[in-house]
Amino acid sequence: MESHSRRWFLGAGTVALASVGGLTACGSGGGSGADGTLTAFVYGDDAAKIQVKSVNRFNASAAAKKAKGTIKLQKVPATDYPAKLRTAMGSPNAPDVFFNWGGGSIKAYREAGQLVDLTDVITSDSVLKSGFLPSVLASGGLDGKNYGVPMRGMQPVILFYNKTVFEENKLQPPTTWDQLLDINTKLKKANITPFALGGADIWPELMWLEYLVDRIGGPQVFDKIKNGDASAWGDPAVLKAAQTVKQLIDDGAFGKGYSSVGYGNGGAPAVFAKGKAAMHLMGSWEYSTQLGKFPDFAKKNLGWCAFPQIEGGAGDIRNVVGNPTNYWSVNARTSNKDAAIAFLRDSASLAYTKELIANGDVPATSNAADLLDASPNPEFAKFQYQMVQQAPAFTLSWDQAVDPNVSTPMLTEVNKLFVGKSSPTQFVSALKELK
Amino acid sequence: MSVTQVKGGPRNDAGRPRSARRNRAGRPSAALALPGVLFFAFFAIAPMLLAFYLSFTKWNGLGDPQPAGLANWRKLLGDDRLTQSLTVTVALTVVSWAFQTVISLLLGVWAAGRQRNRAVLSAIFFVPFLLSSTAISLLFYALLDPNFGIIHKDTLGTTSGAFLAIVFVGGWQFIPFHTLIYQGGARQIPEVLYQAAAIDGAGRLRQFFSITLPQLRNTATTSGVLMVVGSLTYFETVLILTQGGPGTDTAILPYLMYEAGFKSYDFGYASAVASFLVLAATALSLLMVKLSGFGAMRSTREGM
Amino acid sequence: MSHDTLPRPVKTDSAPTVERPARRRRHWARRANPLAGAGTLIWLAVVIIPIYAMFSASLTHQDEALGHSALKPPSHPTLDNYNTVLHNGFGHLLWNTVLAAAGVVLIVLVLCVPLSYVAVRTRSVWSGAAFRLFLLGVAIPAQAVVVPLYLMIAKLNLYDSLLAIVLPTAAFAMPVSVLILTGTLRDISEEMYEAMALDGASTTRMLFQLVIPMSKGGISTVVIYSALQAWNGFLFPLIFTQSDGPRVLTLGLFDYVSEFGVNIPAILASVVLSGVPIFIVYLVARRALVGGLMGVGGK
Repeated sequence: MESHSRRWFLGAGTVALASVGGLTACGSGGGSGADGTLTAFVYGDDAAKIQVKSVNRFNASAAAKKAKGTIKLQKVPATDYPAKLRTAMGSPNAPDVFFNWGGGSIKAYREAGQLVDLTDVITSDSVLKSGFLPSVLASGGLDGKNYGVPMRGMQPVILFYNKTVFEENKLQPPTTWDQLLDINTKLKKANITPFALGGADIWPELMWLEYLVDRIGGPQVFDKIKNGDASAWGDPAVLKAAQTVKQLIDDGAFGKGYSSVGYGNGGAPAVFAKGKAAMHLMGSWEYSTQLGKFPDFAKKNLGWCAFPQIEGGAGDIRNVVGNPTNYWSVNARTSNKDAAIAFLRDSASLAYTKELIANGDVPATSNAADLLDASPNPEFAKFQYQMVQQAPAFTLSWDQAVDPNVSTPMLTEVNKLFVGKSSPTQFVSALKELK
Repeated sequence: MSVTQVKGGPRNDAGRPRSARRNRAGRPSAALALPGVLFFAFFAIAPMLLAFYLSFTKWNGLGDPQPAGLANWRKLLGDDRLTQSLTVTVALTVVSWAFQTVISLLLGVWAAGRQRNRAVLSAIFFVPFLLSSTAISLLFYALLDPNFGIIHKDTLGTTSGAFLAIVFVGGWQFIPFHTLIYQGGARQIPEVLYQAAAIDGAGRLRQFFSITLPQLRNTATTSGVLMVVGSLTYFETVLILTQGGPGTDTAILPYLMYEAGFKSYDFGYASAVASFLVLAATALSLLMVKLSGFGAMRSTREGM
Repeated sequence: MSHDTLPRPVKTDSAPTVERPARRRRHWARRANPLAGAGTLIWLAVVIIPIYAMFSASLTHQDEALGHSALKPPSHPTLDNYNTVLHNGFGHLLWNTVLAAAGVVLIVLVLCVPLSYVAVRTRSVWSGAAFRLFLLGVAIPAQAVVVPLYLMIAKLNLYDSLLAIVLPTAAFAMPVSVLILTGTLRDISEEMYEAMALDGASTTRMLFQLVIPMSKGGISTVVIYSALQAWNGFLFPLIFTQSDGPRVLTLGLFDYVSEFGVNIPAILASVVLSGVPIFIVYLVARRALVGGLMGVGGK
């Protein structure tokens, strides 16, 4: 028995020892290698397949050979992308090129001196300079300097509606707030929830406030907040927007269980596609989500329109909120800046634009307008493109525009407003405290 | 134990060097313990001290921490969310303890019987413990989805619903384990006690309350300590199930720390929360060591 | 082997000191107990329903799943979801988890067995202090130190490696392991040490030929306990790793949520699969596993 136990112990030890060899072997992942391989972090959702192709194309290109560098793409799980990027950037295994949302999402990296200023690169490079819509390119920068190159489709927030439900109840898409309230009343009589809302994720709730503040007080209200003036939360438009949200909730506009429904897990899109809810305020990616999940609905019964105007409000109905697009930025500590920049140029290429369009995205490239007929839904693609192109103001999603140490508590306050834990007045005073 | 007897009494150690005579046989050199102590000090004690240091700095994860004086501690002590978080943490611990203890105790005593059907059912009852907390949280997240799951209600959207969901999910996972502990405890109750009680005419219920319960006192302490320690680590469940919501109503202390650190990137403040957590946990464990008598370095068999 | 040549007073001496609880039958245990029966049936439902729903949903087609109660059996059962998960690097996640668990177990055993030996066999102020230090560690949640540990891991150049998970997980498994081991070691009688000392055995030899063989129960409890810590660990992998290379099962499950987002059946299939390996261990070594876990509670 004694020798048995000892053999057992030694055996376990040998297995474990062998495993330690494996443990350390994995220690060298990530970071720029000595062999000229650069690491790129991309948001690991379905659309990352386009970046995979882009990387493959670049690695095989003459430009890569000239710059003596290739890219290794790392798909970072989407749930936790910002946190993973931050922890990686603070470690020796930082990526050379990384996906981001511009604005507040890159501010801390610039302050830490971890971003390559791309202004001169872009102005001196005809492909990059004239390749993108200027307003979108500008949104990838800070204080007039460029830190990012657009690499995905535009993501304006759009009011989607279920055409079948609207027809059955003889409704027209609303252009004014009164029309919207009237529609709500009729829908509730028909036992249909007016709006699907993925409240478990919180950011779909934020979209309502973004549009309401814009329509009531105009885009300058949030501009002030974004530039660090916390007292601007005290603008009457914010309180009015919060009160409007409260009325909608009390009125049953979002139904009852919305705070347990998620967007990410498909709850809200399903409620909407199955006709249990008639409308859905969501980013333009709702189309591709529905196309993947309920293709018949997406192709035949999905309607879209701008967020309605509010009577007496200062905001133009053409104003847009959402994400202009996503960007590639370059880490200042990269071992091969030339290769990183050469890789960014692929995002302006015709092949890249075509791939985005084929995926249902509307690229922010200047050549996109003529190519939109190739989109799976040209009608929707053109609507989106014009919406962004003609917008007098494009407000970046609040949670991406401000620094994370403001956006996290802000989202918490938004959630408290939507679950009834705080009143509109409490909401405003809590936000004023955020610095 | 034989220890005391050994110390005083002269033993036959003929032929052995004199220096060894005063020692008990096989007294190992303290150097054997050194690697373990150093390892623990480096990966557990040092980080606690470092957390304390970081709580006096401002650091967003990039570059080096900058001194910030007492700013984080001032913010912490004036933060309503700390009070709320502390309340939720304590409430969660107490309610989980009560829920798990009652059920594990009953199931454990029941499972201590040697019948075949009990053995089979016990084996089934054990299955939830085989899944990781992450897996269990994901499972219940799906099952509590109002459009998909079993309960078509806004469970996670209400304060009590979210709180009870965390308690339930924690219990679902850990009750099998504590049942096992109680089962082990119940099997060691001397049979004579029951026989004597039966002769006195005590019924089943009476026996349970006057023999089983008092005899399981030490088991209950052990299991209770593990439950309290365990409920401080319901972090995964909160992260996956409620994200601290609705609002901030289920943000337990570890979640508050995670949010400050890895969502707001305010690592200085997160360290202040962490230091607070360490202080609270140390106080708690001192209390528990005192109450449970673990510090007496006794044998596991004694009192079990 | 050398130790086989040794005389073994060990065994004969152990008989009177180690008193195993005899298997006893409780006289009342044979009588029917309707109340307990009803109670256990209720608990059976609580345990079985989620498990049933998990299996049923994991066999449901993705488009059928939404708006469909998870309690209804799927109309057209499919294994597609399992296929999806298995083609998304599940094997790699499992292998990493096994490596991490083995690493944690190894470190904990190598460090804690001698440490507990010293703590039990010496009465110096220092060993007492060290022991109390470990006791305090029992209640300190690992979450509390994740920020400074991140800083240390980054500076040590361990970020995004399995070691970044293994080292701190092992450290935080040590307090309970020491507690379990000292409890077991205390049961080895003084006479056995003396018998070995009479043969001129060094303390190191006593460790290998007396302490380790005699505390097999405690050691297997520690193996199970520390392996479970690695198996269950989520926060350390979440913060300290990022790429596919060192990703472990718990983090992989969490990441499937964003990958499969709208595909709840696939997520549940991954949950089922994550339980399969340890379920096999349970089937094969139920007695050892259950016995070991009972050991965490004392005996």
